[in-house]
Amino acid sequence: MSDLANAIADLKEDEVKKIVQDMINSGADPLSIVEECRKGMDIVGERYKSKEYFLGELIMSGEIFKEAMAVVEPKLKAGKSGSPLAKMVIGTAKGDIHNIGKDIAATLLKAAGFELYDVGVDAAPEVFVRTLKESGASILGISGLLTPSFESMKLTVQAVEAAGLRSKVKIIIGGGIVTEVVRKYVGADAVTDDAPEGVELCKKFAGAK
Amino acid sequence: MPIERPFKTSYNWEHLEKVLRRQTTEGPVPIIELLVDAEPMSEVTGIDFPAAKAVELFTNAGAALNDNAALEMGLKLMDLSLAFSKAVGYDYVTMIPIVPIRKTRRTLADDPDAKRGQRAWIEETKGIISDRREFEEYEWPSLDQVSLLPIDYAGGQLPAGMKVMVQCDGIFEILKELMGLQQLAIASIKDPALVDDILEQLTRIMVHTVDIVAAHPATGAVFYGEDMGSSVGTLLSPKFLKNYVIPRLKLIADACHKHGKLFLLHSCGQLEDIMEDLIGVVGIDAKHSFQDNIEPVEDYYRKYRDRVSVLGGLDMNLLSSGTTEEVKIRTRQILKACAPGGGFCVGSGNSISNYVKIENYYAMLDETRKWNEEHGY
Repeated sequence: MSDLANAIADLKEDEVKKIVQDMINSGADPLSIVEECRKGMDIVGERYKSKEYFLGELIMSGEIFKEAMAVVEPKLKAGKSGSPLAKMVIGTAKGDIHNIGKDIAATLLKAAGFELYDVGVDAAPEVFVRTLKESGASILGISGLLTPSFESMKLTVQAVEAAGLRSKVKIIIGGGIVTEVVRKYVGADAVTDDAPEGVELCKKFAGAK
Repeated sequence: MPIERPFKTSYNWEHLEKVLRRQTTEGPVPIIELLVDAEPMSEVTGIDFPAAKAVELFTNAGAALNDNAALEMGLKLMDLSLAFSKAVGYDYVTMIPIVPIRKTRRTLADDPDAKRGQRAWIEETKGIISDRREFEEYEWPSLDQVSLLPIDYAGGQLPAGMKVMVQCDGIFEILKELMGLQQLAIASIKDPALVDDILEQLTRIMVHTVDIVAAHPATGAVFYGEDMGSSVGTLLSPKFLKNYVIPRLKLIADACHKHGKLFLLHSCGQLEDIMEDLIGVVGIDAKHSFQDNIEPVEDYYRKYRDRVSVLGGLDMNLLSSGTTEEVKIRTRQILKACAPGGGFCVGSGNSISNYVKIENYYAMLDETRKWNEEHGY
């Protein structure tokens, strides 16, 4: 494992910034920097699964990853950018303003190579559908922490169907209270109450190994 | 749909306290809630109350002391709480001390199509203290600004057998509101000294608050709300919580116990990693808040029934989305597992929020009353 991946995994913010900047200055391929960052985030995910890390560390790693990407992304745009694993629309269901679970999932998904279209919180079904159409995304992630969000999730799935997109879009719901029963009620393809697990499910949707 | 048949028509704090202290397996299974939103209280009692005002009062309680209109609204809410407890048959009425800590909360934008009313949630991203400078500039209330007006007010009107259950927001709960959960998570790793200093200020205020609350003759118990878990584990690492939060919770619980009052803990999420500390170090008398997808109440009861009493457990998903028949079945399942051994009260897994179906709330009460009748109570 590279120094950069290890620094991200160990949440060493200053060290990550320095390594990324040094790599950019020395002309390293920006895509390889992104790849090392992803490897670091994978380790964070493993440590979270094994309960060495908790929500705090997950959020902190996300911040470090974002900071690293802020340095790398301009270089990626200047050169060739890698193709995303898949395009994905993500947001918190109408009637719910909880954002932290959605934001953690979004950061981890970006780190895993997804191109994200974040519609924010309290997002109406038509907003999800419009963004799916505009982006051509093949995965939709709907987050919610409150029971009333189940109804909004269901309405969103119905709106995706009504728009003729359902066969082209895999739908995952996430949040602290969603269960398999809720998944069936909503009509989604997958359910998770855990952001790293959600990333794995989305990778499967994207056909990634 | 106002309540047609109350759970009971007399009040017996003495019995509830014995159950909470696990001193009896005899008598009816009591009912308990941490919080009931204004809308269901209005529906049960038939008393109109502008629910959005309750959200404002909870968000900025301190302002009520200097604003006659807000004070009047606060008194109306207290009247509603009293009427609700009497109408249903709770052995207590819930009151909240006024602790004027300025904080932020987020509410949904008004939505005329929404079937439920307004609710407010803690700030998740960034609160009002995110660095040392903001901490230094923050105006912490002095201890003499803490007001027990609600407890005095309710205490003067309690029917025979009823006590005041005092709900207190916990230090970690307020910390999340002050910093925002995301900012807190980062600060807990990058600047734990800042988090420590904020917690110290909050502990100073909360130890005092719980001390005077527990000393109040109308107080039956303190219901202390401190959400520390997500669905898969503690929000911050158990190590952090054990270093910075648990020892302070012990000080707060001690302030309650020194007056011989019970310290009931409401805390959501998966807390297995700190449960021994909560019971063994803090000395909680009861645990409240259960979700079936995290740990069904029966499982927790089997593990900890000899050490703490266990409160509530009807899953919020079921209460808000299930049928009355499903609620009755689940209530009976829980009663079968938890009632015979004592130290258990029926209630929701979290709260009777404004999105709980009122008929499901009644179904939970009806099934519990039926259980008690079947057992001769």
